Amino acid sequence: MVKLDQINISNDGLTKFFSPIEAAILRALWSEGEMTTSELTGKTNIPLTSVAGTLDRLVKAGYTTRRTENINGRVRYVYEPVFSEEEAASEITTKILDSLVQAFGPLAVENFSKYSDKK
Amino acid sequence: MNIFGEINCYGQCLRSWAPFVSLFFAMSIALIATSLILKDPKKRLRTFVVAQATVLFAIATTFYLMNCSEMLSLYLYFAYVAISTALIFATLRYYDRLMIKRLEAKPAGSILKWTQEFVDKLTSARVYYFDSAVPKAFAAGRSIFISIGLLELLDEDELKAVLAHEAWHIKHNSRMPFLSQLALMAFSSSTEPELEEQADRFASRIAGNAALYSARNKVDKVFI
Repeated sequence: MVKLDQINISNDGLTKFFSPIEAAILRALWSEGEMTTSELTGKTNIPLTSVAGTLDRLVKAGYTTRRTENINGRVRYVYEPVFSEEEAASEITTKILDSLVQAFGPLAVENFSKYSDKK
Repeated sequence: MNIFGEINCYGQCLRSWAPFVSLFFAMSIALIATSLILKDPKKRLRTFVVAQATVLFAIATTFYLMNCSEMLSLYLYFAYVAISTALIFATLRYYDRLMIKRLEAKPAGSILKWTQEFVDKLTSARVYYFDSAVPKAFAAGRSIFISIGLLELLDEDELKAVLAHEAWHIKHNSRMPFLSQLALMAFSSSTEPELEEQADRFASRIAGNAALYSARNKVDKVFI
């Protein structure tokens, strides 16, 4: 379900998997649930210029859904995350483990068990 | 039909007429220069169009004076004019239908009833909205397209200013293809900025200068 096209191990937190703006939007949606565009720009403190295109992209990629509402004669988008943070975490973990196994085979699996023993 | 023969042909045929033809080109350059100085967009537009027509006349005169047959440059120019004409008129006719399909646009009246009613009073055009958070509005053929992002961003008066601006474009759409046609044939730029300015004047007359100004301000901030 999550499409990961680029992973930057050296980046911080969610920006390993998402652009900084995508990460900020997803974090806001995960904590608030439903949000309008103006709530999103307010919460993330990112101007509409940068947010609008990213929102279109997130919807197209299937990370969020949006519906239009007509409140007092004004049209609004209401955004909702498609996956919870837990679902996204498990999806990303699986994707990365898969790619490690694909690259290193049994060696990778051996290291997973060593890693979980250490933890 | 080789290139040196052709240059030679131009030299031969134009020799006595050269001052005449260059006078036309000089005139058109003078007119273009004047159009740059003029403040009033309407006058500027007119001067620029006259300048383009002069260039076209100079080109036509040049070809008329050519006594050589089977000129490659003549054929190329006619092919260029024919293809650009076809493209411009096809764009005018089919562009809005294409955009409706591509953007999956829906009638704006279904989401915000007054938008279609407002435009009906100004000109005959359909208003469509499309699914995008990026604020955007444009006119194509006899249709006006607005994004939901624009509906979110603007209040009613500002939206009226934008719709009036686009309605002006549609009202004068029959002129546009001829203007772009002329620009192409005379190898000059189009008259876009002047047209935009006139559309803005119309919008400020309909929706008020304050609404137009604040809409421009909001949308320009969104479009860098």
